[in-house]
Amino acid sequence: MLKTTLIGAALATATAGAALAADFPKRPVQVVVPYSAGGSTDLSMRVVADAFERLKDGQMVVRNQPGGGGAIGSSAAIHARADGYTLGAGAQGPLVIKPLIGGTDYQLDDVEFIGLYARSLQVMVACADAPFADYDAFIEYAKSGKPQVGNSGAGGANQISAEAFADAAGISIESVPFNGSSEARTACIGGHIDAMVASPAEAKAASESGQMTPLFVMEDERIDLFPDTPTAVEKGVDFTWSSWKGLIGPKGMDEETLAWLRGAVEELANDEEFKKTLTDMGEFVTYEDGEAFEARARKDMETTRAVLEKLDMLGMNN
Amino acid sequence: MDTIAFLAPLFEPQVLLTIALGTFGGLVIGALPGLTATMGVALLIPLTFGMTPVMGLNMLIGIYIGGIYGGCVSSILLRTPGTPASAATVLDGYPMAQKGAAGRALGMATIASTIGGLIAAVVLATLAPQLAGIALKFGAAEYFALALFGLTIIASLSGDLLKGAISGLLGILISTVGADPISGVMRYTFDIQGFASGFAFTPALIGLFALSEVFTQMERIAVGEEPIKSATGRWPTRAEMSESKGALIRGSLIGTLIGIVPGTGSGTASWISYNETRRASNTPEKFGTGYAPGIAATESANNAVCAAALIPLLALGIPGDVVTAVLMGGLLIQGLAPGPMLFQTNPDVVVGMFGGTFIATIFMFIFGMALIPVFSRILMIPRRLLAMSIVVFCFIGAFSINLNPVDLYTMVGFGVLGWGMQKFGFSQAALCIALILGPLLESNLRRGLLQNDDNVLSFISTPITLLFLGLTVLSAAWPFISRAIVRKRAAQHQ
Repeated sequence: MLKTTLIGAALATATAGAALAADFPKRPVQVVVPYSAGGSTDLSMRVVADAFERLKDGQMVVRNQPGGGGAIGSSAAIHARADGYTLGAGAQGPLVIKPLIGGTDYQLDDVEFIGLYARSLQVMVACADAPFADYDAFIEYAKSGKPQVGNSGAGGANQISAEAFADAAGISIESVPFNGSSEARTACIGGHIDAMVASPAEAKAASESGQMTPLFVMEDERIDLFPDTPTAVEKGVDFTWSSWKGLIGPKGMDEETLAWLRGAVEELANDEEFKKTLTDMGEFVTYEDGEAFEARARKDMETTRAVLEKLDMLGMNN
Repeated sequence: MDTIAFLAPLFEPQVLLTIALGTFGGLVIGALPGLTATMGVALLIPLTFGMTPVMGLNMLIGIYIGGIYGGCVSSILLRTPGTPASAATVLDGYPMAQKGAAGRALGMATIASTIGGLIAAVVLATLAPQLAGIALKFGAAEYFALALFGLTIIASLSGDLLKGAISGLLGILISTVGADPISGVMRYTFDIQGFASGFAFTPALIGLFALSEVFTQMERIAVGEEPIKSATGRWPTRAEMSESKGALIRGSLIGTLIGIVPGTGSGTASWISYNETRRASNTPEKFGTGYAPGIAATESANNAVCAAALIPLLALGIPGDVVTAVLMGGLLIQGLAPGPMLFQTNPDVVVGMFGGTFIATIFMFIFGMALIPVFSRILMIPRRLLAMSIVVFCFIGAFSINLNPVDLYTMVGFGVLGWGMQKFGFSQAALCIALILGPLLESNLRRGLLQNDDNVLSFISTPITLLFLGLTVLSAAWPFISRAIVRKRAAQHQ
């Protein structure tokens, strides 16, 4: 049985050869989303699938495989057969943070980066009844007290970014983990914590109605949505952070298939209709090729490593 | 607000048809064990991209309402909760079906779901912004007190207090498997990746109630005992209706109040409602034997949660449960930011969603009532065949949620556990409650301690915590109090 398969595969490779890329994809491409349906990674991947069918005349099926904070689905994509038909939604938590905390059966080196199509920008906000309402007051307060900063889960991207900022700014914070970002938001609007990291879309709506106050943006430059809110960089703290959404796959895909997929992500990310839909959802649509995507992941990993070391969480679950 | 003008678009044939389709689809999804309302809403969100906000969002609301209702069908007929929301319906629904009253049990559930849904929808439409303020008062201490109160249900549900306590503690122990909610450290996972986020809840529930029942049935079939069943009628008798009046109102109000508090949900609401109804009853011993008010209590509560969970979502931009979180995604895709501003910027959408909740509930009633004879036919299937098909459904349902083989082991493991518990008189319901409330209790206890420098007194600092802690003490002492009352009455009669 194995022998026949091997011979078959060998024959197929030999005869198809160069024609393979031209024929790709012959059947639906499956993308594993490592979270349950309905989250922002899932919804954005469904928009990708939609655009893929429209622009590339191929079928793309989104498969949700949640569990282990994204580690199970990511493992499935990273260890899939490297024929280009099983890919994964690349998310920061499972790819960069989880392997450092431990307990995953993959590392960043096992990941093939195809392309990044969107980033989720991050804004630190002050919650209802917080004793500070702008960047300077926040820093001033943090020098004497310990502001309670809510996050979406222990060892999640929010906790890392808040702690990494605190480190860079030389202040200390008390991280308060919640079970998901919506729980953290509820506590923030209810005034049960002092601050949290939010997406620009939710921070915008909440600040207009006075439920939250933006403190600073975690980008190099100010963003259009919050023209009056400073960045940490302009306040003299060398710190930026965003979480990202891209397409990844297993290592070992043949060159042509990989090139075809990379071209496809580039085409999608520059398509007007795709950009509009994702922007309406609150994503910051931006394209980075495989190389730039991987460099970004590695940089995030260094930041994360330093934070986890300080928190004594490095390799905690190994 | 020009309310009438905002409601008009709801009555366009196309919109009505979309809501009807959503409700029907949700009903079918909810009735199939393992397929939940959350899944239905999430999977169908892309369909709404091209629709107008009122049309798309109301289709999702239809799926939600239909999905939560649909769970009662398999709870009553197969002892398999279709969704976690209807796990408590098993207690009286299934025994009632076994007595040959499956149709009336389904009818009761349909009426209860409708009344719960409508009462909560009225509250939603009239008091949303005011009530949403209460939800904001819930911090770690308040959630902790609520969860603790919920856990006291175990005491009054289990006839044998010791066995009930053992079941409950086992449930809490099981709920600690997976990542520690505060530090992220793995607990009791034995290096199995699939356990990293704990036992998946729905597969555990399917195993605990459905698979264990198949095991029990197989034993009966093996010794040749074949229970005879026939399903008659769909309308509950006049006596059943008048017995259930209190349960319907209490369930609807409890469901509404719990629905407003984000992060608790319909599972918690239906258990608390069941317990409170039983406690208020003059004949508590009839509960669990196929007693219509038991169904009325759970089903009115879980459907009241649907409309009530929209209150914090629309008024504050805070999703009350997983389904409303997905709905919030739907709103954002439509370019609408949920929150207090929505009432000002898009009153048409807010009023449209209020109206859609009513319409979907009415559709749910019509479809539910019409389909009872169809559903009841399931019982005509020979037991052996039915047992086998339930097993197949269990496996499909448990696997389809996460496509994770570990979930299948989870289901089988809980199936064996549930079978053993049933055999030796341990309450599966107690274990189920602990699985729902354990994580809520633990994470809020630890978060509260973390936020207050380990000061235990912070847990009794606010009126809400005092209220729930007081209820907890009363509830825990109730079995002794009621026994004392009965004894006193008996003494007087002599």
